[in-house]
Amino acid sequence: MKRPRLAIAGLSGCSGCQLALLNCEAELSLLLEQVECQFFPLAISPVELTGRYDLALVEGCCTSRHDTFLLRELRKRSSRLIALGTCAAWGGVAAMGNDRPRSRLRRQVYGNQPIPADGVPRPVSTVVTVDATVHGCPPEPAELLALLADLLHDTLPLQRSFPVCCDCRMRENLCLLQERGMLCLGLLTAGGCDARCPSLGVPCEGCRGPVPEANVTEALTIYRQKGFDAPTVLGRLRRFCPEWQYGSGA
Amino acid sequence: MAVVRNIDQIARVEGHGRLRLVQRQGRVIEARFELYESLRLFEALVVGRCFDEIPAIVCRICSICSTIHKVAALQTVEAALGVTVSPQTALLRQLAVQGGQIESHALHLFCLALPDYLDCGGLAGLARKIPHELTQGLAIKALGNQIQEQVGGRAIHPFNLLLGGMGTVPTRDRLQRLADDLRAAIAAAGASIALIAGLDGALPPLPVVPGCAVDCASSLVGTHLATTDGVRIGADDAYDWLDEQLTGTSTAKVSNFGGKGPYLVGPLARLNLNAPLEPAAKAAFRHHRSALIAASPAGSNLARTIELLQAVERAGRLIDELLQNGLHPEQPVSPQVASGSATVLCEAPRGLLLHQYRFDADGRCTAAQVVTPTAINQRALKLSLAALVDRLPAATADEFRLQAERLVRCFDPCISCAVH
Repeated sequence: MKRPRLAIAGLSGCSGCQLALLNCEAELSLLLEQVECQFFPLAISPVELTGRYDLALVEGCCTSRHDTFLLRELRKRSSRLIALGTCAAWGGVAAMGNDRPRSRLRRQVYGNQPIPADGVPRPVSTVVTVDATVHGCPPEPAELLALLADLLHDTLPLQRSFPVCCDCRMRENLCLLQERGMLCLGLLTAGGCDARCPSLGVPCEGCRGPVPEANVTEALTIYRQKGFDAPTVLGRLRRFCPEWQYGSGA
Repeated sequence: MAVVRNIDQIARVEGHGRLRLVQRQGRVIEARFELYESLRLFEALVVGRCFDEIPAIVCRICSICSTIHKVAALQTVEAALGVTVSPQTALLRQLAVQGGQIESHALHLFCLALPDYLDCGGLAGLARKIPHELTQGLAIKALGNQIQEQVGGRAIHPFNLLLGGMGTVPTRDRLQRLADDLRAAIAAAGASIALIAGLDGALPPLPVVPGCAVDCASSLVGTHLATTDGVRIGADDAYDWLDEQLTGTSTAKVSNFGGKGPYLVGPLARLNLNAPLEPAAKAAFRHHRSALIAASPAGSNLARTIELLQAVERAGRLIDELLQNGLHPEQPVSPQVASGSATVLCEAPRGLLLHQYRFDADGRCTAAQVVTPTAINQRALKLSLAALVDRLPAATADEFRLQAERLVRCFDPCISCAVH
């Protein structure tokens, strides 16, 4: 069987989604046998796009002209393109300041010193068509391995549509919101992380972005009953998904 | 006529950096390393955010160094608001930081740097040429991640390290298992020093760059920075002394060190500033002393390997101390919201890291400054690249490029951090 050809690229971000893959130390050698990782600047030289790819994994948000060029080039050359992680999927922390003018943010950091032009950080799907999304900041290593296994079986990962609360129930955790009055965002956040944070008593910070078809109105009512008003909750949700707007104007 | 050749993205470094080679008649006459990472603007993103949100946001500056960014931010916010954590939390944070050190150094050595010396492009080549050493190296790297996972809750962007304390204190059994694995890894970490020290294809002699590191005993967090040429600066003055400016060719600011410098930060600088070492690391350091004391940045990989062993030993020692003290569940200390500001200096895997925040009376962040080691190292790298051009007058452009990339990787740049 011909080995699938992979491109793994980082746009503007922290390289954490790519590192999550390099952190699968025990599986790395097996992976290298199963796939041909031709383009992976973080770990493989030289950096050169050649021919076509069966799969492109793209981390980070699209900010600069360079990001846009690379992203379009990868889309053209790849049968499937996956938005890897929360920045690629939703904009993530990098896009947190998109509600303020970029020029103001730039001035705050660089003063009036001349600095190369850049764009506004945006999710990958606003630039090219995305075939599937892996959530998380960072994604769970098991999800990355499952994604590559799916590729080897010529299919795409199942898109999960349940919130972190479901993961929490499966682990029989105490509800941090109901029983300890903590601002846990699990109600509105895409699950699949095995409730990693709430299981250690740390409230969900929403790093996997919004769960599809969330009942936002109901959730905001519950949060209000617990003493958290809508601006506070939405402000926290926007840490990872600046597009969260539901109910804020109402 | 001069021709400029761009190596658009240097591989096997974190982030986006390009090498610009100016050539005349097939020979390189000038080499520049430029960071062109998109602006990330974290120092502006956190302004207006509540103090308790800052550590979780800024640790996203970088994945490889996320634990030290998290700990630096936690300690800065705590210092600004007058919070003191328990000795247990302090030890657990130190342990997580050592885990980050192990992971970062092992990643650099076994995934990013080694291919330079074994004539291959990456992991697949290493797996063919040195399968045993690679397996051992990756096992050490995994151990660093397990520490971060057990203490921080996750290998990347640890969430279990909280303001004022811990989410959940790790269990005795898990820490004991880590300690056993760490003890078993000392031999492998020692063997990796011999591997790196014996590598062929060294760079030509390059100028020594004075070192700069935090004066921090073995905790990797401290109140002063010191240089090998006798400068000593307190945390409150460090930001002004580092004096960051834009230079126009890079999106990361460059440090001016009050008109002095440049200085090198990172493993080699730390060893040259007498960072305290555990027994096996100390013995290894003594053995390789002549290749490390007053060495050029080309000696960084050897220094990094000795620090890898140091971190493995130190992490084991910290666990012993935690187990001896007995583990107790604890509630995080809640801070009193008040205006305040603080600066913390610490040692990230790549060197000196500074976090500085100011808060208003409502606990909202009004100003933030982060200075990272890769940004600080830019001038030392520039100087070293210029020297490399002088030392390799007869090299073809391709030969030069190979050596230049190797030199850049000796600094283990983390460009997401540099541009933050």
